[in-house]
Amino acid sequence: MKSSKTLKTILLLSMVMAAFTACSSKGSDSASTGTTTPSGETKTETAAPEGPLSKYPEPVEVTEVMGFRPAEDPRTPKGLTPDKNAYLQQLKDMLNIDVKYKWTVPTDQFEQKFALAMASGDLPDILELGQKDYEKLRKQDMLADLSEAYEKYASPELKKYMESDGGFSMKVFSKDGKQYGIPSFEDPFLSTQLLWIRKDWLDNLKLQPPTTMEELDKIAEAFVKNDPDQNGKDDTYGVALQKTLFFWGFDVRGFFNGFNAYPSVGDAQTAWIKGNDGKLVPGLIQPEMKQGLSMLQSWYQRGILNKEFALKDENKVVEDITAGKVGISYGEWWYPAWPLNLNVDKDPKANWIAIQIPSISGPGKSLVPKLRSGRIYAVNKNMKNPEAAIKMMNFYIEMGKKKYTDMLKPENGFVYNWFSPRVYNPGQIETIYTEVNKALAANQTEITLDDENYTLVKDVFNYVKDYQSGSTKIASKGTNWGGYFSRVAENGGWGLTRQIKEKQAFVSNEFYGIPTSTQVEKGSQLDKLMQETFTKIILGAPIDEFDKFVTSWKTLGGDKITEEVNAWYNEQAVK
Amino acid sequence: MKLLRKEYPLHLMLVPGVILTLIYAYGPMAGLVMAFQQFEPLSGFFKSEWVGFDNFTYVFNLPDFNQVLWNTIVISLFKMVLFLVVPLILALLLNEVTRRWFSRFIQSAIFLPFFLSWTVLGGVVIELFSMDGPVNGIVKSLGSEPIMFMLNNDWFRGIIIGSDVWKGMGYNMIVMLAAITGINATLYEAAEVDGAGKWKQMVHITLPGIAPIIILLSVLSLGNVLNAGFEQILIMYNPTVYEGADVIDTFVYRLGMFSQQFGPAAAVGLFKSVISLGLVSITYYAAYKYNNYRIF
Repeated sequence: MKSSKTLKTILLLSMVMAAFTACSSKGSDSASTGTTTPSGETKTETAAPEGPLSKYPEPVEVTEVMGFRPAEDPRTPKGLTPDKNAYLQQLKDMLNIDVKYKWTVPTDQFEQKFALAMASGDLPDILELGQKDYEKLRKQDMLADLSEAYEKYASPELKKYMESDGGFSMKVFSKDGKQYGIPSFEDPFLSTQLLWIRKDWLDNLKLQPPTTMEELDKIAEAFVKNDPDQNGKDDTYGVALQKTLFFWGFDVRGFFNGFNAYPSVGDAQTAWIKGNDGKLVPGLIQPEMKQGLSMLQSWYQRGILNKEFALKDENKVVEDITAGKVGISYGEWWYPAWPLNLNVDKDPKANWIAIQIPSISGPGKSLVPKLRSGRIYAVNKNMKNPEAAIKMMNFYIEMGKKKYTDMLKPENGFVYNWFSPRVYNPGQIETIYTEVNKALAANQTEITLDDENYTLVKDVFNYVKDYQSGSTKIASKGTNWGGYFSRVAENGGWGLTRQIKEKQAFVSNEFYGIPTSTQVEKGSQLDKLMQETFTKIILGAPIDEFDKFVTSWKTLGGDKITEEVNAWYNEQAVK
Repeated sequence: MKLLRKEYPLHLMLVPGVILTLIYAYGPMAGLVMAFQQFEPLSGFFKSEWVGFDNFTYVFNLPDFNQVLWNTIVISLFKMVLFLVVPLILALLLNEVTRRWFSRFIQSAIFLPFFLSWTVLGGVVIELFSMDGPVNGIVKSLGSEPIMFMLNNDWFRGIIIGSDVWKGMGYNMIVMLAAITGINATLYEAAEVDGAGKWKQMVHITLPGIAPIIILLSVLSLGNVLNAGFEQILIMYNPTVYEGADVIDTFVYRLGMFSQQFGPAAAVGLFKSVISLGLVSITYYAAYKYNNYRIF
């Protein structure tokens, strides 16, 4: 009774607040400009703006909402708030666009706050959406068709990015020839699972990096028992794992891939792979899973997994990695940039390497999604100037060019991750890799590249230079190494990933549509069932629990989801 | 009319409270229609499709629902009983303490955790009972294997109940102490003259003296039988102990917040409210009948 009341109170309160803020923003609006601009009238009068970066003759106001983290760079002026971000002033100067935030909250509250905003229908002009919310809003006809605005105003760079995958991602976010969202997508191979392992521990124990699960098993056990850090204490364990088994890091996606089992694409979402009959099957319930689960069970018994992994969140696991308590973790290319750099800073001897995930028969195949798109930018149907959103995307890309780089310093109050919409070069990481390596090979002292990727490439290049010369003037040794080993080193995070990409050693997750209706309805329940069963098996429940799980999973909605996913596959998949 | 004129300042003072109640307690009740709708946030209450009792059937047929209901009742019943017994014992003991500074110090110490939020205490409890936490330190020094308190369904339930009682017991204790202070001191003097010791005094004077308060506290807590402590459990539980610690509120939270199934979530909320209303009515009647306690 109490909690439902509270929930309702919150709901109502937010509606009331929304009404108030709507009123007050109108009020301040007219006060600041001195003229009353009733909505709807200005639309036709504004002179048609021409180019991708042409300045509006009259100020155009754009509303946004934001969940923000503290600025990453320690050099950012203290007390800077998102609405004082220097990017916004720059935007105003260049394009005459005023960004107004309806509200800003810390990132961890964003999801709830945004859900409430959707529930009350109080949406900003420019929306940064996940796939689920995008689909919800599109279905309810809340999004503007951006086809025309994109056609007319997208800068050549933006168009180049969107066409870099043959228009695939754009097509996913269009319907009946109308473009409802502009995705910021990335190379899907960024999701490739690698095995990160401490080379210095291997050397201490005179072991070779593993290629098979059997070897990995032996190494992990040695990491528990044979004092790999040689400090004379029994204080290490084998493999880092946190409580959510399928997550965005420190989880067991890559581990299961080693058994040719493909349970999940992370973040608790089931993976769908092509079965023998050409239909899509859920990797989560395939018999290959059993072998993996029983190995995890034995790892748990032997202390290779932490006895209390089921209580650890990612922060606790990162603490263990930093403290040098654990020497193996499955994850993506970015680990050196965080959190392995923390370990390197703490223990200068720490030397992490990446290897292709081992499997039961030599190097294994990681699961790779078809589409890797975290954010989709869409525009509220009621927005007067939808092209302003496109122009803001152009603007952010433009700011990466060399001529802005001196201005763009964090000391000047530029905080990139407070700006939205940010559409990135999907080939960004590859550009960085090749450009920096080219410059290194030619013994350059500066980056000569001169396009919109300049700032990014230059930043990484500086890390590498500092790493090579051992300079810690700007950043710590770990940070420099992290920048180098994640993005530039030949056998580092991206270096190894691109080798795997070239070898085509991967399995595709074929489903990239929006969650089906049964997935939305039963998803969290099935996920709970999975977490509960798998965790219990790892902690020692009989392995046959898995068969029971498969039966319940199917009857509790899994079969229906499989049907829906296959229907989607037959009708809508961009093949 | 004359009465009203005399008392109108009092009524005036009620107005803000009444308005707040109307806005925040009655207003949101309109939202209960969600329980009978296939609710779509952007369509609102008026355009969402009506589905009758479908949401209720759906929720009651969810395989977890019985388990969740059972957990809720078990945990909250234990909490209810302990919330009476423990503060009662504490109050009786404290009442016998003659040094005032000592009794005050203990009172404050016991009351203190009441003001801390579960967000903080949850972390503390998890650390206390972790594998290399202080509690397991004691277990180990006694020569046993460390126990995984937080991963074991039986232990976990005990910890949930125990820590909640520890946190909240100060409140009821103060209420009971206040009731004890209200007992006429001449009764004790008379008992002493008659030769009754401390124990006899407690059994025959103190306990009967505060019986009305005890009964009142217990009947009032009955309305909470379906509340097992949402915040606490949400912060402390993990997948391994869902079986023993997943309660209605955490269940609704996952349903509403993660699956955005507002209809079924509202249906569970309404279900809880109806049961609670029934229990509150019964206890109100009982309190009136046995204790002559009434509000109106």
